[in-house]
Amino acid sequence: MAAALAPISFPHPGRRALRRRLADFLGWGLCGLAFLLLGSATVWILVVIFLRGMSALHLNLLTQVTQGTAGGLLNAIEGTLVLALGGILLALPPGLATGIYLAEYDRGRLASIIRFLADVLVGVPSIVVGYFVYVAMVIAFGWGFSMAAGSVALAIIGLPYICRTSEMAIRQVPRSLRDAAFALGASDARVTFTISLPIALPGITTGILLALAIGVGETAPLIYTADWSNYLWTGHLTKEPIGYLTYVIYAFITQPFESAHALAYAAALLVTLFVLIIGVISRMLLVRSSRAL
Amino acid sequence: MLFRKLMAALASIVAIVLLILVGFLAIYAWPAIRFNGLHFLVKNNWSLGFLYSDPILRHGQQVMPGAHYGILFLIAGTLLSTAIAVLLAVPIGVGAALFLAEGVPALLRPWLSFFIELLAAIPSVVYGLWGLVVVIPFLGHHVFPAMQKWLGFIPFFRGPAGSGYGLLTSGLVLTLMIVPLITATLRDALVSQQSHLRDAALALGASRYEALWTVQLPGVRRVLIGSSILATGRALGETMAVLMVSGNALNVMPNNIYTTISTMASFIVSQLDSALTDPTGMAVKSLAEVALVLCLISIVVNSLARVLLLYQDRMTFGVI
Amino acid sequence: MSKQNRKFRARGAALAALAGLGLALTTLLLAASTVNVSETGSSLLYPLFNLWLPAFHRLHPNVRITTTSSGSGTGIAQAVAGVAQIGASDAYMSPAQMRQHADILNIPLAISMQMVNYNLPGLNQRHLKLSGPVLAGIYMGKIRNWNDGQIAQLNPGVRLPSHSIITIHRTDGSGDTFIFTQYLTFSTPAWKNQINFATTVSWPAAPGNIGAVGNPGMVDALKNNEYSIAYIGTSFESAIHKDRLGTALLKNRDGNFLLPTARTGKAAAAQMVSKTPKDERISLIFAPGRESYPIINYEYAIVSRRQPSAAMAAALRALFSWAISPAGGNAPRYMHRVNFVALPAPVVKLSQAQIAEIH
Repeated sequence: MAAALAPISFPHPGRRALRRRLADFLGWGLCGLAFLLLGSATVWILVVIFLRGMSALHLNLLTQVTQGTAGGLLNAIEGTLVLALGGILLALPPGLATGIYLAEYDRGRLASIIRFLADVLVGVPSIVVGYFVYVAMVIAFGWGFSMAAGSVALAIIGLPYICRTSEMAIRQVPRSLRDAAFALGASDARVTFTISLPIALPGITTGILLALAIGVGETAPLIYTADWSNYLWTGHLTKEPIGYLTYVIYAFITQPFESAHALAYAAALLVTLFVLIIGVISRMLLVRSSRAL
Repeated sequence: MLFRKLMAALASIVAIVLLILVGFLAIYAWPAIRFNGLHFLVKNNWSLGFLYSDPILRHGQQVMPGAHYGILFLIAGTLLSTAIAVLLAVPIGVGAALFLAEGVPALLRPWLSFFIELLAAIPSVVYGLWGLVVVIPFLGHHVFPAMQKWLGFIPFFRGPAGSGYGLLTSGLVLTLMIVPLITATLRDALVSQQSHLRDAALALGASRYEALWTVQLPGVRRVLIGSSILATGRALGETMAVLMVSGNALNVMPNNIYTTISTMASFIVSQLDSALTDPTGMAVKSLAEVALVLCLISIVVNSLARVLLLYQDRMTFGVI
Repeated sequence: MSKQNRKFRARGAALAALAGLGLALTTLLLAASTVNVSETGSSLLYPLFNLWLPAFHRLHPNVRITTTSSGSGTGIAQAVAGVAQIGASDAYMSPAQMRQHADILNIPLAISMQMVNYNLPGLNQRHLKLSGPVLAGIYMGKIRNWNDGQIAQLNPGVRLPSHSIITIHRTDGSGDTFIFTQYLTFSTPAWKNQINFATTVSWPAAPGNIGAVGNPGMVDALKNNEYSIAYIGTSFESAIHKDRLGTALLKNRDGNFLLPTARTGKAAAAQMVSKTPKDERISLIFAPGRESYPIINYEYAIVSRRQPSAAMAAALRALFSWAISPAGGNAPRYMHRVNFVALPAPVVKLSQAQIAEIH
């Protein structure tokens, strides 16, 4: 509609009209410039990461473990996935339940308090979460540097994201569908599991993917919880440190050897690629879910 | 009903996690809070003391002789780098949001928006790597010396221009990290805004830009303020990228925008190692106090933003 | 789906499950016979440890060692807490720490050195002479100009530039800072009283000082700032040569000015052999002797006497014994790569005695 309405043009463009046109031009120009600035920054970062990462990429990275600051990244890739998936596994039950509770039984004070606290938890810096897990789990509980400690840290960070995305996804399920099910005598649990969750699945998946991307990209909360390991994970939940890609980026770039730098660039490329792919998938899911409704 | 109760119980885990987190940090840091007192926030002397001497008793606590924990420089570094980031990110974010909402064809909009939102998806440590190997040499060799020369008449732009690590570099990297948050939220608000006000403005003879600037933008003012505060919160707690580009200064108050700084978040990572050499444990507890202060600041900032954003309930990828 | 097809599938699933079980069992058995050793700590020792790993792994394939560069403080703390088996540290544990943890051993594995470098246009190929008190004066902001009388006095005949000095220091917690400030502390009373030594010290606000992160950051800052000065671990000597930066002759306790070389490092270590106590907790900084370079340092493995299992204890003994032997980890081919100094024979003996206590 709006596009069809052209601004009224005056027959004799006076000084005022000229000034207005100039302001328009300047305004759009500045807006475009802002966009261009951000766009070129994106390109700059991606080009640097891709160029340097590609030249460091090698098949051995995927088949070998790290030896000191040389070798491959297999252990780090595995560790990153184990930590991130572990975090999601821990965060999903309470996160999803919170989403269901907030969306379906949104009455009374508890819901609004929980919603508010989830939003606040999003804002707690990840290093604070990491430090908490270090003091509580690594030291006080005696877990040591471990997959469990790292995953708990990632779970705390991912939890509010899963809560809020599942809440929003379930909220979009048409009320009439659920009312119909209730009218037929279905129980709360049945309505949730057979109506709400299946329909909200794309949205919930988006939240999980988002938490996965955050987990894969995190560094600060893992440095003092997961530590680092040159080897593949042997399956111990505690007392066994575990490697992850972002550590390689942070620690190896300051080492005096070229091999270390190459690994850092390769790790940066892998992490960035992973996060970008998750981003594209979740964007597509979002588009599809909004179309479906 | 059992199911509802079960869901409510699981849902309270979120609240419990937050309470335990703050409570645990507070209890753990309590000896430090008592030892440091107000000194902690107003003095500028983080020092572990003479670690190879014997611990002494001060203010009822075992500490190393000469130990002081004053973090004014951290508060300054955190607030200043965040201020630079927010000051730059708001106009740039608004400009980009206006452009994306009204300046591009609707067909291209999701893709161009996604392109900008990528900035929010890139992990902090990758920003740090990019900052360390590309931005710092570039700024330190070319931009900062030039700025010192041509803008040196402005206070805080005067030299020495340093090595590229520092306040302005941190601020610039933070800008890129928080700007998509503002752009995405604002663009969504603009796009989902009801169009009758804009149509009325256009019918009255306003140009598209005038309608956008004078009618549509004021309509989403609350969203702009809310998302800016959220972005502020993000910048305050950002760790890895700042750690890698800030220069990690100790006890130095910035006297120009090129000065090396530390922020509270990055300080926890960079100093935990040294703090662990303190046999009395007071240094580690004081770091917990830093974490606690940072945590409380972010809670206040985020609460503020949420209250303002109460009516704006949308999430975009990588951005909340 | 046909019946046969389904049967086939079921058999396939069973086979897969069996294979999976077998794999899991093998993994378990393997896990039982391997020993996982985690080393964490000093970023100075880290490159050397990483050079050691592949060689040691060939000799003892059942010992899996993980190395992390987390810093000496973390190294000590994790070893003491039993989180890591080996804490690598540039510093021996303090008396207060030893009282709390009597079970912990401080075992030197090698000797590191540190250089003082500068970027003075035209003078980088000349080795300037500097002393502890002069360096302390520079870092305290009392000596602010390169042509200051105190520097000139040490370097007669050198045309020193009239330019202010830019000091560069580490801002992350670092063993390099620990040994550099120890040199200043031992040689200069004013430094001892005001600043002392630690992995992080509160640097005086000398005008134009620059903080850098990690040794690469130090090299970078030095390269980028003419008229600057920095302290850098000798593992970065090749970077200093490549960038054509200057290395100072440092004044030792006997008043001689020396460069950090294998010879002067060895000489200093030899002087400290007789002073090294049984528990080997001693600073090598500012050693006496004509040819003794003043900034050398034992790199320690912080390890508990009591290990949770005999297998772990055996693995640690094997690792340390190999690491300190002149035919193993202290062989020249490892020492050269990071410009470290091998342990003198008597110190190897002391370390061996401590290693034998691990059980």
